[in-house]
Amino acid sequence: MNRVLAIALNTFREAVRNKVLYSLLVFAVAMIASVLLLAQVSLHEESRVTRDLGLGGIALFGVLIAIFVGVSLVYKEIDRKTVFALLPKPLHRFEFILGKFVGMAFTLLIQIALMTAVLFTALSLQGEFSGASAAILIRAIALITVEVMVITAVAVFFSTFTSPFLSGVFTLAVFIIGRSTPELTELVGKLENPALRFGFSAALELVPNLHLFYVSGSMVDGHAVSIHAAFVDWAYVGWAAGYGAAWAAVVLLFSMVVFSRRDFV
Amino acid sequence: MGDLVISSDNLQKSFRLGIFRKRVEALAGVSFAVEKNEIFGLLGPNGAGKTTFIKLLMGLIFPTAGSARVLGRPVPDLGAKQRIGFLPENPYFYDYLSCEELLDLMGRLFGLDARERRRRAGALLERVGLSRIVKESANLPLRKYSKGMLQRIGIAQALINDPELVVLDEPMSGLDPIGRREIRDLMVDLRREGKTVLFSTHILSDVELLCDRVAIIVDGKLRGSGPVDKLLSPRLLHTEVVLASGDRTEICEVAPDGDLDAVLRDALAAGKHVRSVTPRRESLEDLFMREVEAGTSRVSQS
Ligand SMILES: Nc1ncnc2c1ncn2[C@@H]1O[C@H](COP(=O)(O)OP(=O)(O)OP(=O)(O)O)[C@@H](O)[C@H]1O
Ligand SMILES: [Mg+2]
Repeated sequence: MNRVLAIALNTFREAVRNKVLYSLLVFAVAMIASVLLLAQVSLHEESRVTRDLGLGGIALFGVLIAIFVGVSLVYKEIDRKTVFALLPKPLHRFEFILGKFVGMAFTLLIQIALMTAVLFTALSLQGEFSGASAAILIRAIALITVEVMVITAVAVFFSTFTSPFLSGVFTLAVFIIGRSTPELTELVGKLENPALRFGFSAALELVPNLHLFYVSGSMVDGHAVSIHAAFVDWAYVGWAAGYGAAWAAVVLLFSMVVFSRRDFV
Repeated sequence: MGDLVISSDNLQKSFRLGIFRKRVEALAGVSFAVEKNEIFGLLGPNGAGKTTFIKLLMGLIFPTAGSARVLGRPVPDLGAKQRIGFLPENPYFYDYLSCEELLDLMGRLFGLDARERRRRAGALLERVGLSRIVKESANLPLRKYSKGMLQRIGIAQALINDPELVVLDEPMSGLDPIGRREIRDLMVDLRREGKTVLFSTHILSDVELLCDRVAIIVDGKLRGSGPVDKLLSPRLLHTEVVLASGDRTEICEVAPDGDLDAVLRDALAAGKHVRSVTPRRESLEDLFMREVEAGTSRVSQS
């Protein structure tokens, strides 16, 4: 456990010194600026606009950073040959992967916390900040956090055996397909050919249903597939977190298996 | 058998290259053993398979066939790794860390507590000649280190766990003559402390000066292994005798199977003075080239 923590700490240190966290600062400034601008345009709706923009921004930045940093997390260690000195130390290969993930997850957690703080600051500047709305926002942000963790695990998985570019493409694909799961399920259901229908629905099972973490209204074929903030309670957040954790765990397990078997040349 | 620190049994490794998956045999069945408390040299030209062999021992790559045991355990074993120190070839470390932070990280992996980590880091930086630089600029990231400095910090991190076995892949590379000398002394010190050292090199003089035993690897095959003086005894080419009579000097070469006594006796009898008698041996380089080219399998067990 100490070894995993040592790797995690080092991963976090790398992220901090890599100035990844500073992208957040840019985001925060950009968001506050746009909020002030939009608040003048949309008069009465300003708090809703701030909220939607804020949540969307946190999800977008969270996922983008998870992909950008996640795909190079393990690859860079192999490419720069830092693993050569590390793996002959008394360390299991799976502990290395776990440590990298934990360090990255911790980095992302801090980024999301900072972005949340900026959003809350913007809302209270508009005088629209109440305990009730904060609770709803925090539930939504919890869901986003779980989604970001799942994406990180997926990025780590790809990066254990392919280049950062391909890992990025694959992870982005998983994100887009995962976010559109209800729409795609609907489409696949309409297929005439039973073999195709079976094939596609099986393929959809290989991708996590990220729509579960997407807090915004959406309708498919007249049915609400929305998990809009207003409907989301803690029980749902707990259930979704369990689903996400299971996905992340399985994907990480696969990463560990791949990483344990490969040669470092 | 209990004293074998490393034993490799028919260790083989082939890589697949390019789109046609062409097979490259980097190591073609290498067997030898390293005993406790010796300095063992792994000698071979570029591309011979030295690094491949060492990576197999360290569990970084898996053998195509054969097996190896390190410190009595099959590779890779966590208990054995706890007692091994390793310096990779052309080492590269986390370049955003300072060298104290790097040693601290490595110390954590060995489960050392904070005080012990600090104590050992200080002592090791002193030992590899980096403490002055660290004192001057403590937080200098490794990114800004020169190649020789990286090599030194690499050796320091290999010793953080006070290992029983130290494996060094080309420890002298990138070091200036003083640095090479220091590393040689360090290896001798390690042997005096009862440790076992395995290192790879293509520099003959390092082997000659340091090693108890060597293995010569060429083209992925073991060409020989044994004590240095037996394996690398340079052939006598001829003996050069310099004679002087009056103010004339003459040089005659006596073949290795020639009768040196008779030559000298005759010269003295003829009233000449013997100025010098020098055996001329082939250079170590020549010998090495002969090993590489001939491929004579002089596998001596000892
Ligand atoms: N990843 C790889 N893919 C294909 N071939 C490889 C790979 N790694 C090593 N080889 C080949 O295996 C052989 C042995 O390489 P190795 O690095 O072990 O040599 P070496 O003895 O360490 O040489 P040097 O003194 O230059 O370090 C070489 O012919 C090399 O081309
Ligand atoms: Mg090499």
